[in-house]
Amino acid sequence: MGKLITIIRREYLERVRTKWFVIATLLGPVMFLVLTALPVYLAAGSKASAQSANITIIDATGADLGPRVVLALADTSGVKPSVQITAPDATAAAESTATRAVLQNEREGYLVLDSRTMLGFKARYVGKNSSTVREMSRLGRAIDKAVLGLRLERAGLDATRIDSLMRVDVQLDKTQLSEKGRERTGTGNSVVGLLVAFLLYTVLIIYGQTVLRSVIEEKATRVAEVVISSVRPEILLAGKIIGIGGVAITQFGVWILGSFWVGANVVPMVIKNRSLGMSPAAADSLTRSSDLFTSLPSMSPALVIAPLLFFVLGYVFYACLYAAVGSTVNSESEAQQASTPVVMLLVLSAVFLQPVALAPQSTIAVVMSMLPMSAPIVMPMRLSLAAVPAWQVAGSLTGLFLACLLAIWFSARIYRVGLLMYGKRPTVRELFKWLRYS
Amino acid sequence: MSELAIDIRGVTKRYAEHVAVRELSLQVPRGSVYGLLGPNGAGKTSTIRMILDIIAPDEGTISLFGKKHTDAGVLDRVGYLPEERGLYKKMKVREVLKFLAELKGVGGADAETRIATWMERMSLKSDEKDWGDSKVDELSRGMQQKVQFIGTLLHDPDLVILDEPFSGLDPINAQALKDTVVGLKARGKTVIFSTHIMDNAEKLCDAICIISRGQKILDGAVSDVKAAHAGRTVAVAFDGAPSAAVDAVLRDQSLVASLDDQNRFLELELAEGAVSGTLLQRLVDAGASLQRFERVQPSLHRIFLEKVGATGVEAGMSGHG
Repeated sequence: MGKLITIIRREYLERVRTKWFVIATLLGPVMFLVLTALPVYLAAGSKASAQSANITIIDATGADLGPRVVLALADTSGVKPSVQITAPDATAAAESTATRAVLQNEREGYLVLDSRTMLGFKARYVGKNSSTVREMSRLGRAIDKAVLGLRLERAGLDATRIDSLMRVDVQLDKTQLSEKGRERTGTGNSVVGLLVAFLLYTVLIIYGQTVLRSVIEEKATRVAEVVISSVRPEILLAGKIIGIGGVAITQFGVWILGSFWVGANVVPMVIKNRSLGMSPAAADSLTRSSDLFTSLPSMSPALVIAPLLFFVLGYVFYACLYAAVGSTVNSESEAQQASTPVVMLLVLSAVFLQPVALAPQSTIAVVMSMLPMSAPIVMPMRLSLAAVPAWQVAGSLTGLFLACLLAIWFSARIYRVGLLMYGKRPTVRELFKWLRYS
Repeated sequence: MSELAIDIRGVTKRYAEHVAVRELSLQVPRGSVYGLLGPNGAGKTSTIRMILDIIAPDEGTISLFGKKHTDAGVLDRVGYLPEERGLYKKMKVREVLKFLAELKGVGGADAETRIATWMERMSLKSDEKDWGDSKVDELSRGMQQKVQFIGTLLHDPDLVILDEPFSGLDPINAQALKDTVVGLKARGKTVIFSTHIMDNAEKLCDAICIISRGQKILDGAVSDVKAAHAGRTVAVAFDGAPSAAVDAVLRDQSLVASLDDQNRFLELELAEGAVSGTLLQRLVDAGASLQRFERVQPSLHRIFLEKVGATGVEAGMSGHG
C-alpha cells in the first residue's frame, strides 16, 4: 500500500509541478470564457449590423407596404433600406437597376413586394446574403409584420393602436418534467450538455494519451524494470492510472470552479456594462444568452455527480486500454498507429454527439449512452438534456463498471508481459498468448 | 538463519517458442561474490528476473535468505541494477533517488541522509556543484550510471544483483564498481552479477556458475573450478616462427586437443591421455627453440570456451572479452 502511494505521488506531482500543467489549467477557464462569452458578445453585436438592412425595396403593391417593412426592420437596425415605389408593370426595369446596384456593391440585395405579397404568400429577395439564415428570417418577420399591420389598418384599427398591439415578444420559459419533479432549465442547457460531453471527451483523450506516453517513457528509458523489481507491475499500473487520474480531476476541478466563479462574478458585470445604452429588447436577449452561466451553479447535484462518476469509470476504461497499447510498443511513433483502435472508440462517440444532443431520447441516443465505450461521454450529456429513466442510468453504469473490470484484467496481463518485451510489435495472436501467461 | 542468500531449485521458464531456463539449481552462499556466466541468450537475465519476481518460473522454487522470494518484504532486501539502465529523464536526481528508496521502504529524513552521503561519495555533490537539483537528462552518461548505482544501493540491501554491470562503463566507473563490490563483500553483503567478460569474473568472484542454453554447465568456487581443469593447459612460446616439423607436432591430435594463439604465446589444451612431458620431448626432437614451456592454470575464459563451446555457442556470440 505504501508503495502504491509512492507511485501515485510521483505520477501526480511530476505532472502537476510542470509549467505546462499550470498554464493549461489557468488558461482553461479563459478558453471556456472565450468559447461561451464570444457567442454572447456576437449575439449582441450582430443586432447592430448595418449591412443586412442595406437593401432596395421595390414596392409594386401600390399600398405603401415598402415603408412599413422599413419601419418594421428599423425596430432592430440602424440603417434604413431605400424604397422604390413602382407600377406593377415596371417591376422588371426596377429589378435590373437594383441588380446593377448589388453587383457594384452599393447594395446588399433587393426585395420585391407585389400583389402576391399583399395576399400574404410571396415576396422575393435577391442578394448576396440570401443564404444567411438569421438575416433572412428577420426580413421575413418584418414583411409579415408589415402585411399584418396593413391589414389591421384596413380593417379599421387606429395606426398607433396597431403599433402598440403588435409589440409582442413572448419568452418561452422551459421546464423539464421528470420523475423527480419540475426542474427549471435554462436556454443554455443543451449547450451545457454539449459542453459537458465535449469536456469529457477532451479530458478522456488528453489523459488517456498521458497514460500512454507515461507507459512508453518508462519502457523506452528502461526505468520500468527497476521499478517492477520493487513493486508488482499491477501496482505500478494502478498507481500510474490513479496518479494521472488525480491530475485530471485537479484540472477538471479548477476548470469547473473557475467557470462557476466567472459565471457568478464576471459575466453579470459584463452584461450590465454592455446593457447600458441598449434597447430593452436587445439587453434582454443578451441576458437570456447568458442564462448558460447563471444556470450553471443551480445545476442539480445529479448533474454534477453523474458526469464525475461517468468520467472516473470512463477514464479507468480508456486509461487501461491506452496502457495496454503503450506496453506493446517501443516508441511514441509506433504508438500512433497502435492506439488507433482506442482512438476510434472515442471518436465514434464524438461523432454521435450532435444527433444525440438534438434528440436525446432517440434510439441512437439510448444505444450510445448504454455502450460502455460511449457511455462516459453520451450519458452525462443525455442527463443534462432530458429525463433519463433510472434503469437506463443504472444499466449504463453497471455495463461501464463491468467493462472497466474487463479492461483492468486485460491491460494488467498485457502490461506485465509487454513491459519487458522489446523489438517487434506483437501480433494480435501473440497478444492472446500473453493473456494466458501467468 | 539460512546460510544461503539465494537458493534456486529446479527452476524452469518456458516461453512460447523456446525454453529460457531448464531445471536450473544453484546456491549462492551469504557474503560471497557470485558470477553468473554465459553467452548472450543463455538465460542469465531470465534467471535474474525470476529471482526478483519480475517473471514467474513455470516450475521450481526460489528462496532468498531462507524465505520464499515472493514473501512480503523479502525483495526489499535486494538491490537490482538491470542490464538496460535508465531513469526518469525529466526528474531531478534527488527526487528520482528518493522515489527509488521509497519503493524499497526507505523514506523521509533517513532517505535524505543516505542520498547526501552517497552523492558525496560518488562525487555528485561537492561545495561547488550539487547535481541533486539537476534533471537526470542534464547529467553526463557516466554521472547517470553513478546515480543508477546509488539507486541500487541506497536501501543498503543484503543482496545486490547486477545484470551485466560492466557493459558500457568507462574505466573510472568500472573501477568504482569493482571497489563498491569489494566494499559490499567486506560488509558481509552478497553480490551476484552476470557477465560475459571473464576477466572481471575471474578477478572478482568467489564462486561462479556457467550456464548455456538455459542449462547449468558447471558451478562452484573459482579456485575449485580452475583446479579441476588444471594440468591440461600448457603455454608455449618459440624464438622466431616455428618450423614445419614443429607445426606438425602441434597439429598432432593425439597430443594437442586445441590450440589458442595468444600472439605472444600459444595456449595448448592437452589431448585426452597425453602428458606434457611427451609434448616437450616431441617439440625438442622437432628442433624447436623454446622460449617458454609452462603448465598453467587455465583462465576462466579458456574453461568457458571449452565448456560452452562443447554445448554449442551461437556464431559470433562466444564470450570473448
